Amino acid sequence: MPLGKLVERLVHLVPVLLGVSLIVFMMMALTPGDPVEIMIGDQNVSAEDEAALRSDLGLDKPIAQRFLIFVGNAVQGDFGLSFYHRRPVSEVIAERLPATIELSLVALIIALVTAIPLGVLAAIRKNSIFDKMATVGSLLGVSLPGFWFGILLLMLFAVHLQILPVSGRIGFDSEVEPITHFLLIDSLLHGRLDAFWDALSHIILPAITLGLPMTAILMRVTRTSMLEVMRQDYITFAEAKGLKRTRIIFRHALKNALIPTVSVAAIETGSLLGGNMIVETVFGWPGLGRLVVESIFLRNYPLVQAAVLFYAVTYVFLNFFADILYTLLNPRVKL
Amino acid sequence: MNLARRTLIASATALLVALPAAQASELRVGFTRDADTLDPANHRNRETETLIRNIYDGLVTRDASMNVVPEIAESFTQVSPTTYDFTIREGITFHDGTPLTVEDVKFTFDRMIADGGMGDGQTSPRKSLLGPLTAVEILDDTTVRFTLSSPWPLLPAMLPFQEIVSKDFVEKVGTAGLATQTNGTGPFRLADWRKGDAIILERFEDYYGGASDIPPVGTACVERAIFKFIPESASRVAALLAGDVHIINELPPFSVAQVKANPNTDVMAVNGTRSFFIAMNMENELFADLKVRQALAHAIDKDLIVDRILGGNAVPISGILSPDAFGKNTELPAIPYDPEKARALLAEAGYPDGIDVVMDTTGAYKDTAQAVASLLNKAGIRTTVTVGEAGQLTSKWRTKGGAKSGDMYFTSWGNGSLDPYGIFNPTHRTDDRGNSAGYSNPELDALLDAAAVETDRAKRADLYREAEAMAAADVPYVYLWVPQDLYGVSKRLSGWQPSADSRINLHDACVD
Repeated sequence: MPLGKLVERLVHLVPVLLGVSLIVFMMMALTPGDPVEIMIGDQNVSAEDEAALRSDLGLDKPIAQRFLIFVGNAVQGDFGLSFYHRRPVSEVIAERLPATIELSLVALIIALVTAIPLGVLAAIRKNSIFDKMATVGSLLGVSLPGFWFGILLLMLFAVHLQILPVSGRIGFDSEVEPITHFLLIDSLLHGRLDAFWDALSHIILPAITLGLPMTAILMRVTRTSMLEVMRQDYITFAEAKGLKRTRIIFRHALKNALIPTVSVAAIETGSLLGGNMIVETVFGWPGLGRLVVESIFLRNYPLVQAAVLFYAVTYVFLNFFADILYTLLNPRVKL
Repeated sequence: MNLARRTLIASATALLVALPAAQASELRVGFTRDADTLDPANHRNRETETLIRNIYDGLVTRDASMNVVPEIAESFTQVSPTTYDFTIREGITFHDGTPLTVEDVKFTFDRMIADGGMGDGQTSPRKSLLGPLTAVEILDDTTVRFTLSSPWPLLPAMLPFQEIVSKDFVEKVGTAGLATQTNGTGPFRLADWRKGDAIILERFEDYYGGASDIPPVGTACVERAIFKFIPESASRVAALLAGDVHIINELPPFSVAQVKANPNTDVMAVNGTRSFFIAMNMENELFADLKVRQALAHAIDKDLIVDRILGGNAVPISGILSPDAFGKNTELPAIPYDPEKARALLAEAGYPDGIDVVMDTTGAYKDTAQAVASLLNKAGIRTTVTVGEAGQLTSKWRTKGGAKSGDMYFTSWGNGSLDPYGIFNPTHRTDDRGNSAGYSNPELDALLDAAAVETDRAKRADLYREAEAMAAADVPYVYLWVPQDLYGVSKRLSGWQPSADSRINLHDACVD
């Protein structure tokens, strides 16, 4: 990957982020519902006190001015104070981010290790019972609401079988001193196997729920591309040469068949971050998604703006990595 | 931290870890929402307050019957309509071991009522909860005087919402530090705040015992109390059923049967403080007519809905106030369910064929609103329920005198103080914040204004009774019910009672 391309991509990021900020800013401003009103709720407040609160939050200024202040501060890495937490937004987001990233990564791993073998198997046993079941399964996986599926898993494994915890990230007695803030890694770094199993038992259900639609999509992609590759001349040639079937599948076909799978996976990883909002709510997972949903309802503008910018940056970079991966796997493609 | 101390702590921790965890009595609460902040003066959120209230004590608190009783204060007296004296109990210490003094009390309130009092340019968002409180002065080592700029009988009822902080501690960590660090005088001290996940509290061994009017008095029953945040109702119920938590708040009515059927769990209920009602837009030609509003009131069978939809966990009301509120008029004329009469009233108003209307509500109330709508339909009031999001409906309906566009709004108003001022004024005073009906009655305004500053309790109660009768005659709202707050509890839990102000006070709660 030439360095010039990388720099070019980074430069492209600037207008993207500006555009995203403007859109988010306008959308939040145009959505009916006033943060001050929501904050005061049912309480009795004089008009003066309400005005004081409004000016305290900086909401008494015109929208254009507020946007310019926001951009000016954001450039310096300052995203303002969260209306509700009364602390810097960057700090509040940073507290929640590791949980979200850890969950997304585990979901991604689960999706990759289940989808690829299933997809390959479905392709090489095309039209078999297994293939048909896989097709139905993947259709279900894409269309099942994550919310419903999550509650179902929870009722089964946590309430009835009682083999996995209902919610949260780790048990109350398994705290580990944070190093990377990823509990699975931190517990291993501390050599705390008990904490590792504890964290793992907490993450397993949410990660499966989160990874389900992605598993289904990747399985379909792998199956289709595998079938495509198996029809190629060089596979026929290899078969004609009398090579072993497993060798053909794993050495010759799979390598090429995985190209679309990998790039779809990279792009879909962005959607994992979005899916988090529901999964985190169901499993009481202390991540960013839940915080953003709450913040939208409360019209906590500074937090929503910063979080959406973060999502935008992540998406752009994931797409960028998808492109790089694609060129690495398939040298014929130029960026 | 020096090496020796670090080693000591490390070995102590190792020792603790080695002990079986079951030895520590631990109470876990499945709670809807994390705290925004742990600074008692820097939020306007009920859940946040519940969490803070287990760490911090107030000058006064409330018992189970919602009477205001002294807590950090030993006693208080009203010296004049605008002056209150509080005597502070001696021997109270903060969690860091320093004694609580009158200086701390003065500092706490100065921080809330002064413009920019938070010390970083911010004014406390709780300032307005203290009404016309203008000064807190120290009279002697144990007495502080509160001075109001005008009579405000609500002061004692509002003080349980304010917690006392340590002057030295706040000066040391600053307002920014106080958001995440605590130093209270309450029954529990903060052990760990896992943001978005849980707040872990441990028993404060030197606790003075809390309000002597609320027995038993002493340190907390359990060694550890944990609030675990589970926003989704179904998951919260699942956590209770699985035995992960011992108390859950906001138990949905449709889960009551399931929780009762489980051998290890039960349901506890307490009269809530939130009144439900339907606002009829009186700026609308249709609802400007008293007969139409009366027709609507006659068309709703409150008992049926309380029974079938709310599982019997609500009390019907015929005025805005909860049956438990101060100054409640118990002799309001009931408007009986009578669909025939509703039709007749509509015909008299010039609508013999009925009317078509839209009722706004939020997602959480959708089912109940639809049940109400089906009753209205039967009486010729063809109602479509439209679900909006809270923030959006607030700007549509709570216009404070601005033009209104909808027909009806199925909504509610909470009143944690149970004093009429907190709910009557905002919903019924001309152009006030919660006046979704657009109701305006100068005589009623005058009554409410007089009651707000009347310091003679008996006279004040009379004024509110008169006000409720006056409002009932004008039918600006269809007053519906006050739902009970429902809690799911483990049968291992004892010594805990739900409180009508929706606080979860864990001081006396035990787990066997």
